[in-house]
Amino acid sequence: MEQTILTIINSIRIAQELTPVTELHTTDNLREDLELTSFDLAELTVRIEDKYGIDIFEDGLVNTIGEIYNKLQQ
Amino acid sequence: MAIFIHSSDKDYTYTELIESVNQCQSYRPMCQTKDLCNYFVNFIVALVSNSSLILVDADSGQNDLPELDFNQVNTLVTIEKTNFTTVDELINAVLNSTSKVTIFTSGTTGQPKKVVHTINTLTRSVRKGNRYKDQIWAYAYNPTHMAGLQVFFQIFANQGTLVDVFNMSRDVVYQMIDKFSITHISATPTFYRLLLPFERIHESVIRITLGGEKSDSHLYESIQQIFPNAKINNVYASTEAGSLFAAKDDCFKIPKDILNQFLVKDDELLIHKSFLGESSSFIFDNDFYHSGDLIEWVNKEEGVFRFKSRRNELINVGGYKVNPAEVEDIINSLDGVQQSIVYGRSNSILGNIVVAEVQLTLESMLTDIDIRQQLIGKLQDFKIPRKIKIVKSLELTKTGKLKR
Repeated sequence: MEQTILTIINSIRIAQELTPVTELHTTDNLREDLELTSFDLAELTVRIEDKYGIDIFEDGLVNTIGEIYNKLQQ
Repeated sequence: MAIFIHSSDKDYTYTELIESVNQCQSYRPMCQTKDLCNYFVNFIVALVSNSSLILVDADSGQNDLPELDFNQVNTLVTIEKTNFTTVDELINAVLNSTSKVTIFTSGTTGQPKKVVHTINTLTRSVRKGNRYKDQIWAYAYNPTHMAGLQVFFQIFANQGTLVDVFNMSRDVVYQMIDKFSITHISATPTFYRLLLPFERIHESVIRITLGGEKSDSHLYESIQQIFPNAKINNVYASTEAGSLFAAKDDCFKIPKDILNQFLVKDDELLIHKSFLGESSSFIFDNDFYHSGDLIEWVNKEEGVFRFKSRRNELINVGGYKVNPAEVEDIINSLDGVQQSIVYGRSNSILGNIVVAEVQLTLESMLTDIDIRQQLIGKLQDFKIPRKIKIVKSLELTKTGKLKR
């Protein structure tokens, strides 16, 4: 799962002409560390939903990579 | 004798048409058939006997049109026999018919709407005369819908020939154009996009008409390359009102004498009720009907405008309004793209995000990432599709438009 999230984050970064990251940390902030805009976050939810059937933002804001992992493991 | 219809390897002449019409002692008010000749014989028989008709698609069923009783499909109703001796007599009887024709919108935006038309409103834009004789038309529309009816009347009123190409593949369409030396094509922009890319020129075509969807200058250039002898024009028509105005390039001109019968409110075109058929679903705003078409004036005094999109097609992305037609135009202008469809997908963060399905040209190796990167700088960030799916083909509606 962690590898899949890394691939998704990097596909969003590449499309925005940002350099891909080599690894993710649970403390990484989606906006500040990974430079994702609200449009990028919207894309992230759609891609995760397509893969896992879970809308990670459905019941509130998600700020870090660790929070995404938690949502998917619930 | 002049050919009326070339359809599935069958030639059907105007003489045979007169014979068929004269032999009929009944007609089907709700005819359902895949055979274009049968369909039009029934249609013409109804009109010359001033009887009413309900037009349903060959593949519609009770679920598609719940207000109709599908047990009535193909039920025969007796009529008086006719005795036409010339094609002109038959044409005059059709054009002066008092029949009422019920048609349905294609239902791209919800439940199909029923609209009743007279032959007068259906033939308002038909032109007759010697210069319209001997035309051979590629018939690229569904015959049960407004555009198909308009093209039929234009051909029939001038004893022209109709070559059935509706829903046919690119190769077959080109074969038909060459085999029958087709002179006229009237179709949706989607139909023309499916003819791309350019391979060689086809000289017989002298007139190309586009209608039904927004088209773009990139498409005009490509069509002109394939059909170098063709004049290209655009027609604004709707199921509710039929054909209203034509134009060159991507601008429409409302004739001066009827300019006061059109209003523009919040960019939406409003049409006076005198132009419309009858329908219980019409809601009027001081005798004007909200067309749902968003336009922009190019020259307001002269009545020249450009079509922007449909009101209910705008995608709300976090408060920003995205016109899918604008995004499709830009995607379609990229090298390697055949055509595309852009629509909204609901999203918990922004309300909607923009997504696209793209059909590539045969040799194209473009990826979704390539397309998105090429759109940066051409479109504002919020308009760039966040998910692009490369597909083999795009789904079409019953009237040959792309399905959002």
